Order: sequence, then C-alpha cells, then structure tokens
Amino acid sequence: MEKQGILVYLECADGHIVKVSLEAMNAAQKLAAMTGKKIGAVLVNSASAAAEAAANGADFVLAVNAGDYNAEAYAAMLAQLMADYEPAYMLVGSTRDGKDIAARAAAAQGAGLITDAFDLNEEGWVRSIYGGSLMATMKAEGPVVVTVRSGSFGKPELKEGASAPVETVEAPIIKIRATVREAVKELGEAVNLEDAEVIVAGGRGLGSAENFKLVEELAEVLGGVVGASRPAIEDGWVSRDHQVGQSGKIVAPKLYIAVGISGAIQHVSGMSGSGYIVAINKDEDAPIFEVADCGIVANCLDVLPLMIEEIKKRKA
Amino acid sequence: MELLVCVKQVPDDSVSVKLGADGQPDLKDITPVVNAFDTYALEMATRFKEANGGTVSVVTVGDLETVTPSLRSCLSVGADSAYDVNETEGCVNGLIAAAAQKAGSFDVIFVGSESTDKASMEVGARVSNKLGLPLVTNILALEPADGGLKIKQETEDGYRTILCPTPCVVTVVKPDYEPRYPSIKSKLAARKMPIGEFKAADLGVEACGTHKVETVKISAPAKRQAGIKIIEKEKEVAVARAMDMLAERKLV
Repeated sequence: MEKQGILVYLECADGHIVKVSLEAMNAAQKLAAMTGKKIGAVLVNSASAAAEAAANGADFVLAVNAGDYNAEAYAAMLAQLMADYEPAYMLVGSTRDGKDIAARAAAAQGAGLITDAFDLNEEGWVRSIYGGSLMATMKAEGPVVVTVRSGSFGKPELKEGASAPVETVEAPIIKIRATVREAVKELGEAVNLEDAEVIVAGGRGLGSAENFKLVEELAEVLGGVVGASRPAIEDGWVSRDHQVGQSGKIVAPKLYIAVGISGAIQHVSGMSGSGYIVAINKDEDAPIFEVADCGIVANCLDVLPLMIEEIKKRKA
Repeated sequence: MELLVCVKQVPDDSVSVKLGADGQPDLKDITPVVNAFDTYALEMATRFKEANGGTVSVVTVGDLETVTPSLRSCLSVGADSAYDVNETEGCVNGLIAAAAQKAGSFDVIFVGSESTDKASMEVGARVSNKLGLPLVTNILALEPADGGLKIKQETEDGYRTILCPTPCVVTVVKPDYEPRYPSIKSKLAARKMPIGEFKAADLGVEACGTHKVETVKISAPAKRQAGIKIIEKEKEVAVARAMDMLAERKLV
C-alpha cells in the first residue's frame, strides 16, 4: 500500500459497520476527493464486513485479528498500523471507545488529534468550541488522528458491487495493564436520532420523569424519535443515548419540537440545523425562542396533552 | 493514597462566547471558572480520600495570578495542596506530566474527561503516555481492590468494570452526584494555604516546537432567524395556531 493515505477505523456490531463509522467513511471520501489519497478500511475481527467497507468507499481493507475490546490493546493496534502504514490521516468515529483509542494512538505516535470534527473544507477540519458557541477550523502538521462526530457527515452513497483487496494483519501482542472484568449493557435498542424526520425533545421544564412521558407520547403520535437535553438525562428521566447537543448528537430532522428546553448553547448547537423548530416554554425570554420558527409561550404540561389530542384528531 | 487532580481554568460555560472583532473568542467579560469536568474529578478524588485516606493535590498550568482564584476554589472543596505551572506558552500536557512527577509520588492522577472550552479530550491520553502509566477513561466511580483499583467506566450503552494497577491516570465523566460547595470556614482556610509554583525550567521541560494541530480560523455558527412567538391566554388557541402553522408546511 502507498503511504500517506487515509486509514479509517471501522467499528462493527453484529457483523455490520456502525453508523458513525460510515460517516467517517464519508468524511474519508470527501478528503480523498480533495487530496487524491487512497482509503484503507480497518476492520477488527470483522473481515466479513469487507464488501460493505468497499461499497462505502474503501480502496483496500486491513482485516485485523485481535482479541476482545480493550482500550490499551486496540490503541496499540491503531498505533502499530500508523507506524507501519504511515497514513497522513487516521479517521475514527466519535464513539466513547473510538475517542478513547484515537487519543491514545495519537499520543503513542506523537501525532496530532482533532476531536469531534463535524465538517471538512479546503481550510481544514471544523469542530465546535465553547460548547458550540463558536467553531474552530483546524489543520494538522504531519500525521493526525481525526474523530468524526455522530450525525455530521452522513452516510456515503453506496457503490453496489464494489470490492477491495483485503490484507490480513495480526494485532501486536502487548502487556495489558487495565483489564476489563465485566461489560454491562444498560441501554436497549439503539436510538436513531440522526436519521429521524421528527424529533420531540424534552428538557428540565418537564419537571419529572412522569411528565417526560408526555414527550414520548407526542413523539409516538408524530411517528418521531425522543430527544432530550442534558438536564433531563442527568435527572434520569431518559437514557443518555437520547441526548442532543454538545455531548450528544447533532441532528437535523424536518421537524424538531423542543419541550421545556431553555436553549443553552450546548443544546442549540446540536439541533439548529433542523428544518423547522417548534419551542414550547413558559419563559418568554428563554433563548430557545431565538432559534424557533414557532414558539409557544406556555407551560408545556398544558400544551402537550392538547397537541397530542389535536394530532390524533387530524390523523383520524 | 496520594491523589492528583489536573484542573483547567475555563470561561463560564453557561455563557455563550461571541466572536470578537479580531476574529478571536471574546472572553473578557466572562467569569473564569474551574472546568466542570475537573470539578467532578476533584469531588471524586476527595470522596476517595475521605473513604480511604490519603491526600488530594491539584495542579494547573497558566499565569499564577490569573489561576489563583481557581486553585483557591479547589482548596476550599477538598484539595489539600495546589500547584501551578506558571507558564502561558508551551505544551500543557508535557508541563502537567512533569509537574506530576515533581510535586509528589501520586497513585492516581485524575483528569476531567473533557474541558468545556476546547473539548479536545486528549489530556488523559497524553499525560498517561508521557508518564508511562495505564489509563482508564470516562470513569463514574473507583474503589481500592486487589492492590489496585476497581473502576466503573461509562460506555456508549452501559458500563464496564475495569481492574487497574496503580499508579494510573483516570478521566472522569459526570457521576450521579454534584460537587460539594465550600463553607465559609473552608473558604477562609483556603485563602491561607500556600500555592506551589513551578516554571518550565524547574521541570526540565523545554519549550515545545510548533503545535501538531493548528487553529486556522475561528468563526461563529450561522444564526437562525427567530420566527413567530405565540402568546395566548387560552392554551387551546395557542395550540390551534401552532398546529395550523405546522399543517401549512405539511409537517403534521
């Protein structure tokens, strides 16, 4: 393989490439179009996804045989790939584990790190700073590891029937210090906020887990997905995979209904790309109204039941 | 155990930062605070100390006078000693790692999982790499176990239990408790506590060369136009108006 290319670490679940990794492939294609570089997909214990990687733009596949996930081991593997293949760019989807091993591999290789990039243009990679109130365009001198934020680049157009040569690579054997004793899955079905056409999101203004159910009900009658701002998640009303904004996802549905959300910049930066925004908040001065196409100044607990009724009526 | 918490002073993250006329973030009217994730790290370290004994130190990098209020604030909510690397230029991670070696012999080095200003999420990885220590990221809790630590790590869909030997570096996410508030007594006591000062030269850290990653431009995100605000006495009327607006755009 020629050096100074693009490597993309692809996370797989149930034999398929996860969505944020597909977005990383899309970022890689954008980068390849700008630089003429080749794209190598890194698949760990998932050689069966090679065709899927090719259909998503991989020019070649590195099929790595490794043990079960361990951050030290997987970071050492990425670092080894960087040392052997000398990519100019190593792209990783911004999952928790993806960001973990990306930072470790960058540190081990003395490479640059750009975290949570959401766009790429001729000037560089664009990412949020100050909670999303500003954006920084960043450029690297020398090799760089870039993590790609969920919900930012979209999936690549599929190249049906494409194939790519597969090279098998053995992960380096290292002495692991921090060992995983147990991995517990607490969250159920993956929440697909990125592809949702309608999102109904709730915040602190709902007041309780009980009241938050109204958000779920409105989402259901609209055929939408439930989102949330950070306070609703911290109070445990809904699981954290529903979070929209700075530490959650970037979303851009056709319709976004913000219920009892004040509109902190950390939240707004994740949803201001929505097609049409409805905000319901009893505080007339809430900053959420500055981005809302339609703002209802009222107690959301009064408004939600009426809205749910009204939509049911219109659907009937 | 001897515990060290690495802290960063950042602009208050409840304030939206505007772009200044010079193309740089305009921070002059924003109160500096200790990065929220570092306050979680400090609280976790303090609770660990209270349960298992030991001491908590904090370290930061920056102009001594500028960061002193933040260090005093840490001293008033659990830290026993505070150090500043009094430099405004240079590789922060290298300075932190060197200060960690100079200030004591630490069993656990705590870092907030991210900063609310730049959020690069790399300090834990770079510092642990420089010190050659194991790293566990995104932790929610830790306790002594088998001569090391038993750590609860938050993951995408749940958590992992990790066993890690000490010394080690951990990065801390928001646990299900809030950091404590200082009391008047603890505030007064903090004022009298000394703050240790290092310069890069004391630490044997040479000025670093060019940064590997450079910010070429800072810009403000596109502003959305505010639309119509519906204020009605009758909630039914308000909802009907909103529904009509949605129906007009075929959104319901």
